Amino acid sequence: MVPARKNITSMVQQRKEVRWLSFWLAGMTALWAWDALFLDPLSYELLQAAILNTFCGAIVAVAAALAAGWGTALVLYFFENGPRTYFFLPVLFIVNLLRSIPQIIGLLIGYMLLNFFMENGLMQFGAEQIFWMACVIGIMCSPEIIDLIGERIAYFKQSDYFHAMQCCGMKERRIINVEILWKSSSAHLVQKSVSLFGSAIFLQCSIGFIISVGLSNEVSLTNYPVSLGGLLAKLDSKQDILAIGSALINPSYLPHLFFQHLQGVSVAAIIVFTLLCVYHIADGLIHSYDL
Amino acid sequence: MMQSSYNISIAKHSRQLVSIKNFPLEENRITLLFGESGIGKSLIAKALYGILPPEELTVRIGNEPYETYCARNDVRELQTNSFFVFQEPSSHFNPLLTLRSQIQQVQAAGISIEPILKRLWETDDRRMLDSILNIYPKPYRPSGGEKQRLLLAMAFMKIERLINQTKLDARTLFVFDEPSGSLDDHFRNVVLSFLLDKFRTRKFTVLLITHDYSILSALEREAADLRHEIFYKELSMENNVLRCTDFVPDRYLNWLRAERSARFSEQPVSWNRPILRVSSSVEVFGRRLELSNESSCNQNCALELFPFSMAYLKAASGVGKTSFAKAMMGLVPSKHLHLQLKNVLLTEVTVKKYKEEQLWGKRMVMAFQHADEALNQNSNVEGTLTGLPVKMSAAEIRTIMKKLFGSNIEDTFLKTKVKYLSGGQKQKLNLLRCLVLDTDVLILDEPFNGLDFNSIVNVLSILKEKQREGKGILIISHNEEIFDAVISPDRVYYLHASPSTM
Repeated sequence: MVPARKNITSMVQQRKEVRWLSFWLAGMTALWAWDALFLDPLSYELLQAAILNTFCGAIVAVAAALAAGWGTALVLYFFENGPRTYFFLPVLFIVNLLRSIPQIIGLLIGYMLLNFFMENGLMQFGAEQIFWMACVIGIMCSPEIIDLIGERIAYFKQSDYFHAMQCCGMKERRIINVEILWKSSSAHLVQKSVSLFGSAIFLQCSIGFIISVGLSNEVSLTNYPVSLGGLLAKLDSKQDILAIGSALINPSYLPHLFFQHLQGVSVAAIIVFTLLCVYHIADGLIHSYDL
Repeated sequence: MMQSSYNISIAKHSRQLVSIKNFPLEENRITLLFGESGIGKSLIAKALYGILPPEELTVRIGNEPYETYCARNDVRELQTNSFFVFQEPSSHFNPLLTLRSQIQQVQAAGISIEPILKRLWETDDRRMLDSILNIYPKPYRPSGGEKQRLLLAMAFMKIERLINQTKLDARTLFVFDEPSGSLDDHFRNVVLSFLLDKFRTRKFTVLLITHDYSILSALEREAADLRHEIFYKELSMENNVLRCTDFVPDRYLNWLRAERSARFSEQPVSWNRPILRVSSSVEVFGRRLELSNESSCNQNCALELFPFSMAYLKAASGVGKTSFAKAMMGLVPSKHLHLQLKNVLLTEVTVKKYKEEQLWGKRMVMAFQHADEALNQNSNVEGTLTGLPVKMSAAEIRTIMKKLFGSNIEDTFLKTKVKYLSGGQKQKLNLLRCLVLDTDVLILDEPFNGLDFNSIVNVLSILKEKQREGKGILIISHNEEIFDAVISPDRVYYLHASPSTM
């Protein structure tokens, strides 16, 4: 047991991403315990659902970005290097078009489609709505994965590695998928996924705000599953956030934040703290794996 | 008096890079150190010379921490009197200074570089030497061979200074790490005879690290009088323990004689039709590469590879042997390529799909020169042999590996990542990946790179087995002594380049 404990301790000390992951887990646990003790039961339940929905949505978004990015990068590669080169430019145009659209505009388009689906009774369940918006986020983030995969393939194609495998009869799709991407780029993809996870949480919060504006009756804060962004957009949460300003002017009001304004403060803290930790975890991975 | 054996341990973080007991190094003698690539020869030499970075590596020499060893007066004296010729000469030169000013940094009073350069270049043409010394080093100029000789010239200046020194018991350690890596056999012999002449004048400690076993033939010719002052050592790994043992030069020399006589005793087999025929002239990367079967290159000829035979492609360094082989495989764009593989004609317009489905790994295969680049460092040993167009069970993989890696192929070895293998093991794996395939033609680019003597013998016996199976083998190698002994002169081709005029 002692060596294992020693290893974990040295890992936390030496590796930034492990340190920040531990810090995030500890912080979230502490916050959860505090909320369990001092937040009213209804808000506490809402907060738990919001965390679950947001984090699950972010995971789906990352998976969608990976799938869409990996697939599109391969399509681009094989169109560029295969016999059907005439398909390459149209696909590249679509990817560049997607890249040129600001992510928030992409989310609005996704929101419009979600509205359309719900109007026509195609999406009834909350999970379906979260899944849809997560997929939209994933697609909007996929150019980052496309670029990463394209760079990795180009990097390995420059060395003898690619030719050496090719002339041993290894299939090109295996060289790319297994040897280059799976075996030699997994650290890069993990690092990119972690940073996309942060982006996905941020974008999901943006969706909450878009929905809270009340552009449509079909998709509103009342019938869209609760998320961290949605919870933050609620009126009482907004008042909690405004109370932070009051506490700055009147410091004696500060303790009230941790008891009376817990809902908004907790949501804001979770978002900011998670984004900060995700940033440092992704940065730590760059250093640990020498990316 | 310098101690004659050292216990050396070098580790990076928790990973042991080198651990050896009783590494022998006799003072004022020449020690030739052989051993497969990546086994730790250069690290040991750098550790003894006191130039490893203590902030990156944990080094112990004997019972001393490295900082204490490096601070010792005798080690400092050794560094002042000696020179370390690094394996990779390019990293030595500052691109912002002319070669002349860099050489002047080593120059001592009363010692002229000119006679040294004249000897190493075998010329009296001062203008030619000046033209080299006045350039700023670039990746392409001076050439690899010139850089190597310039570095050796710096070492010889230090030797000259030592000879002029009155102190006779000065501590020295001249390390020559692969000094002939970028030199052809002729200039390798020029350097060697210069070194031996200086050594005869005044004794100093030399550690010469090399994979080039043909240096033994040169020493047999040149240094018969120094027989008792030259030690031959070999580093090898036995049961995960690094050992330094005596290497008997006769092992190599007798083997070479046996190979030579076996070639002469072989009955030449005549075949009407070659398996492979390549046009005498191909244009690759804007250079016309021409083939001939005489070193004077007067008459071009097509390269013909017959079944049950081995052919040898020779050229000076940098001519484009590897580019030519890649063009043959259809891996790089070329012009005027006509490659007849049995009944199939392949040209530069042959589509990739055909090569993927019919050629690569099925009828032709090529082993690349640098195993480090050719293998996936993140794959494991077993994974390197998967995905090939031949289905093999784990037992079959072990049987094949046994031939090259020895008798004990353990599961842990099969699961080891390629990046943790030694250079020699990587090279064997690189060759093995091609040798397991059942192709008509094998092209092997520098197959003995980084291998120790036992591995060279094993690889050659496997190649002969392949030859007996009816395969055609094309060898590209700078290891002229070995392949000249093994391959008949009528199967030797010379490649030369000229600017494209086609």
